[in-house]
Amino acid sequence: MTRDTRTPEEWSQLRLERLQTTLNRAYRNVPFHQNRQNEIARKTRRDPSLIEDIREIGAFPFMERKHLGEHYPYGLFAVPLRDIVRIHTAPGASLNPTVTGYTRQDLNLWREVVARALTAAGVTPHDILQISLDFGLTNWGRDYKDGAEELEIGVIPNAALSPDKQLLVLRDYKTSTLVTTPSEAGHLADLMFQAGMNPTATNLKRFILVGEPVEADFRDLLTERLHVETWVHYGLSEVPGPAIGFECAEHQGLHLNEDHFLAEIIDPDSGRVQPEGEIGELVLTTLTTRALPLIRFRTGDRARIIPEPCPCGRPLVRMEWLFDRTDDILTVNGVKVHRDQIQHRLARALGFNPECGYFVTKHPGEKKYLEVWIGMEYSFFSDEIKDLEKQVDGLVETLRENLGVPVRIRLKEKASLADLPSDSKT
Amino acid sequence: MLRIKNLRCYYGRIMAIKGVSLSVMEGEIISLIGANGAGKSTLLEAACGLLSSWKGDIDFQGNSLKGCDGPAIVRKGISLVPEGRLIFPPMSVTDNLKLGAYTRYRKRQHAEIARDLEMVIDLFPILRERADQPAGTLSGGEQQMLAIGRALMARPRLLALDEPSMGLAPLMVEKILDTLQLLKKEGLTILLVEQNAQAALKIADRGYVLETGKIVLQGKASDLLSDVEVKRAYLGKDYEEFYEGRD
Repeated sequence: MTRDTRTPEEWSQLRLERLQTTLNRAYRNVPFHQNRQNEIARKTRRDPSLIEDIREIGAFPFMERKHLGEHYPYGLFAVPLRDIVRIHTAPGASLNPTVTGYTRQDLNLWREVVARALTAAGVTPHDILQISLDFGLTNWGRDYKDGAEELEIGVIPNAALSPDKQLLVLRDYKTSTLVTTPSEAGHLADLMFQAGMNPTATNLKRFILVGEPVEADFRDLLTERLHVETWVHYGLSEVPGPAIGFECAEHQGLHLNEDHFLAEIIDPDSGRVQPEGEIGELVLTTLTTRALPLIRFRTGDRARIIPEPCPCGRPLVRMEWLFDRTDDILTVNGVKVHRDQIQHRLARALGFNPECGYFVTKHPGEKKYLEVWIGMEYSFFSDEIKDLEKQVDGLVETLRENLGVPVRIRLKEKASLADLPSDSKT
Repeated sequence: MLRIKNLRCYYGRIMAIKGVSLSVMEGEIISLIGANGAGKSTLLEAACGLLSSWKGDIDFQGNSLKGCDGPAIVRKGISLVPEGRLIFPPMSVTDNLKLGAYTRYRKRQHAEIARDLEMVIDLFPILRERADQPAGTLSGGEQQMLAIGRALMARPRLLALDEPSMGLAPLMVEKILDTLQLLKKEGLTILLVEQNAQAALKIADRGYVLETGKIVLQGKASDLLSDVEVKRAYLGKDYEEFYEGRD
């Protein structure tokens, strides 16, 4: 990949061919896309699939997370069900989970994408790669496993182990590369020190951090404490997968797999494409995905395209992945949680719509978790502490199961909810 | 080597090719597959200068083919093996082959032409036996060899073939495809248009699937070969027919 011999013209030809094919297939096979393209055709009096330049994609409407929920489960698939070889569920942004299907070719694609990203991070068959991701990200766990196996790297797949066990495996199985979220990386580092484990006594060489953007300070801290190099990968947790963007040895932004994805940066308010190099929301169009093509999918991630070529020589454009989101989704250890979803779940469990506040918190020595404050109501109140505790435990369990993230619930006086910032209330 | 961008071809007011982009890199075998009437031959005709009413870009080795007629394109290095062979039946096999070098006689390349004739006859030994026979007396497979030989006589850099397997026995198809692979090894770039998807993809590096004038699928030939969707496109079956079984 580093020594790609394609000329810039050949790259743009490849991307144009793939975009045209994607639009044609989407039109033929998915009524949702067909209707949208017909709508454009009606307005502009020309066939939108006759796109002659990839920039013309700007004429297409956006796809949002809500569309995935509305067309649950298979409404956006572009292949018949019998071509699907893997069906994956992720906690969605609505009451319905997000369903992703993969054809055999799609699985090959992810293998290639992940293998490319791992190669860029210097992972070789001499490495042992351990995957430790929350169950909301099990999808990625499988993709990382497949990609690593493609490179004949020894893989320890994602497993539901306690942090202590993860640590034990990490030390005893001689893990050299750990794929995990920044929150979990921090947590593991803390645990290692608590347990008096000397990082030099392990084989750990590198962390591949996924799911959330990472602060430079935090990376320095990991490097300093654990003597590891850190690499950031960008992906989408619901659809379609990990390592859409990856760091090279320069660590100056994330290369986007432009042969498989078309990236745009838009102004999240107006929806207009931003001038090159400006900050905005990342919008992705898949170029090779078979089962679930995305056309101008709003990721909600804030990013900036770095127009300058990378010193590493890769022809793939780089992206700076920034903190904060352009939508109101919370990211807990890389897993995305929509506020509506929390509210729906609580309302369903309680039988009424409670007044709530939510935010993501982290205590030292722990992973991040979702903290929910519920304003007390008479209908909910009981003078038996036991009853209240039972109620709260039940709610925690419901949310944890459905959202795939650790949850804590506190019962609060309604007045105290008023102190929360407005974007964390209902 | 060959880069087609946003190609649109018209028959009168009917658009037969609707914005197709396709590329052939040096040394590749590319298969363009699709059902009857998908527009495969039209695309080849546009690239070979047999069709004048097209829009978009066709570049060969960096030069546009816009406005080039057939002979000009042959001189640039693209030779077509047309659908149905189109050999000249009353003429002898040798004369048919010599006609393939038509554009080169003017350049007085007689010695080279004689060498190439030898090369073609070595490639298809049966043509030596039939050298003086009228081409019309050859079997289908032999005629196909003759048609390929004739195209090679122009010393193309890119060989375009339109349905070379049509009407041939499976054994003969295999022979023809083996020859194409051999030619590839010798450095020839090949664009192969086929309805026989299975056979065409077996020897190709990459493939494109054309459906009613649009590319609906593309990728590595090995991936396409195992693809249910390819079989669907190739057989021209309805979506519903394939949907059964798991719903």
